[in-house]
Amino acid sequence: MIKGWTGKRLRVDLSLQKAWTEDIPVEDLRQWFGGRGLNASFFSQHFPSPVSPSCPENPIAFAVGPLTGTLAPCSGWTSIASFSPLSDPPGYAFTRMPGHFGASLKGAGFDQCILQGKADRPLYLWIDDGKVKFEDASHLWGKETTETTVAIQEEKGDRSIEALCIGPAGERQLPFANVIHRLSWTGDRLGLGYLFGIKQVKAIAIRGKRPVTVHDPRRFLNLCLALKDRIQKDREMKRLKEEGTLSPLGGEGGRIIKNSTGWCLPESEKQWAASLGTYLFSQESCFSCPVHCGWNIQHQGSTTGGIHLEKAWYLGPKIGVYNGEWTLKLHHLCQAQGLDPFLTSSLLARIMEGVGDSPLSVEDLRETDDIWEQGEKAFAILHRITHGSKNGFHFSVPPLSENEDLDVLADIISFCMIVVNRLNLMTVSNMIDLIDASTGYALSIEDLRDTVWNILQMESRLQNKGFYLNNPPSLFRMGEGQISEILRREERNNESISHQTTS
Amino acid sequence: MSPISIIPERCTGCQSCEMVCSLSHEGSCSPSLSRIRMKKWEEISVFMPIVCQHCEKPPCVDICPTGARKRTPGTDTVMTDEKRCVGCKSCLYACPYSAPVLHPVTRRTMTCDLCHGHPLCTQVCTAGALSYKPEGDVSTEKRKAFAQTLLRSMRSR
Repeated sequence: MIKGWTGKRLRVDLSLQKAWTEDIPVEDLRQWFGGRGLNASFFSQHFPSPVSPSCPENPIAFAVGPLTGTLAPCSGWTSIASFSPLSDPPGYAFTRMPGHFGASLKGAGFDQCILQGKADRPLYLWIDDGKVKFEDASHLWGKETTETTVAIQEEKGDRSIEALCIGPAGERQLPFANVIHRLSWTGDRLGLGYLFGIKQVKAIAIRGKRPVTVHDPRRFLNLCLALKDRIQKDREMKRLKEEGTLSPLGGEGGRIIKNSTGWCLPESEKQWAASLGTYLFSQESCFSCPVHCGWNIQHQGSTTGGIHLEKAWYLGPKIGVYNGEWTLKLHHLCQAQGLDPFLTSSLLARIMEGVGDSPLSVEDLRETDDIWEQGEKAFAILHRITHGSKNGFHFSVPPLSENEDLDVLADIISFCMIVVNRLNLMTVSNMIDLIDASTGYALSIEDLRDTVWNILQMESRLQNKGFYLNNPPSLFRMGEGQISEILRREERNNESISHQTTS
Repeated sequence: MSPISIIPERCTGCQSCEMVCSLSHEGSCSPSLSRIRMKKWEEISVFMPIVCQHCEKPPCVDICPTGARKRTPGTDTVMTDEKRCVGCKSCLYACPYSAPVLHPVTRRTMTCDLCHGHPLCTQVCTAGALSYKPEGDVSTEKRKAFAQTLLRSMRSR
């Protein structure tokens, strides 16, 4: 076993209610160094052609990287992959989820968890330090996400349990439902709520107490301390900490909103942010992250979990809602029902603009027509959708903001993309150093480049795009693009973190 | 002796303190190997780190049947003597915070040793929930924070 990894894959068959572990070959761990690659390689090995998202064989794969569950800053991300109901035609899709779930999975002794099959009754998966149990969830079925999380924790008598659960929207198999843990972090843009609902899995509850071993603890500790120190002192980071993930708001030019039919003015943006700001009272953060970009909400005397301002933006100015309170109400409805804020936003924009087919009946639409306040209107529409019985949703999935290979690299190692790419607080050589100290396996630039390349190839093959494979120039660009450039720049600047620690 | 002072309102639940504590003391990362523990109630957004406060009149020392819990003369920290500890867990019950924790492997109790005067958890706590001043008293930070809030509200009037 390599240090930093557990080397185990948890396989769960919900139809037979059986769970077993498999060893992940050491070569695989070395080759893919992270969750996204492990997921992609699992799918390529087992699924030569896509299966229907609603069939029992369709797996949901969760995987983590070598630094998840350790002190490494901003390493608390989990990669999730499945055949998604949102892609058209249904095909391989992947996403990433920040928060604490990955660290708990690693603590329970697994690098990867794969759910297959379909339960015959509602249940939740209880993973306690490597042991898996299938618990009855009929009493939880129909409950909102907050109630579910607390009920599971109280049932097991331990508030340190991390529960990843769906809400009523997921149970009703709405394609834009998602999963949520700690009432704040969600796995978006994949239709995970739908997939959990199909499999009749209400939640995955994990208690992980096993230690994550590190190859060179002393060096790893020093690297992490130096990195945390640098991130803490950075000016951009301070702004992010104070204003949340929407710190670039109010900039020049405005932003495209309302289903790409309008522009948001910087002044109204600022106004919205100010009205929202009155309800934010304390911060929250992902596992082992020094940034703390999430905020907790206090609305009408009660706390309602966390909000990430990027999501708030999608339920605010993006759909023409400039009243912070209505944004919060929309967000709270999404959070309680287990809805994906990004997709909900795109759906609401469509309905409110009258573009395309609407899942609402004519009467429903007429009733909401007279509401003047945009926020109230959006809330009324969303309420009718979540409590109605209509199906047949059409919406555009907003793409993952992934246009640079540094993003891909961060994602592959399960790092936070905001810190790595948008703020450039962590360099490629920092990541190489951290992996070296943690796993004892020194990567070279060629390894990195090849892996990013291979993973993108595997994924495009799974998605039937054939884009990277048949197109050498783009392949060349991916391999020879940003990463090499950044590495050259870093070498020139000689800003390697090891030098900083020794000096 | 001044312990690590905690301002729970600032804690964001990132568990960096647990990670750095277990990594520096045990060489691997796990909340169960850490001497400091974060407790959470996510539905009301409350996160709270709990760590030994090295009491002036420590009940754990009074109750310890084997004399394993005692004040270290040089540093004034209250520590467990691993050789004497039998893992009876009396100190867990006696402590007002239940700050001592059981080591999952050796099954002896362990508490914060202040990392020989430079606690690492206070270094990694970028939220400012944990701080350490060897000379100051615990409430200094809290008093300062309160004074600042008061000052701000007076100025804004």
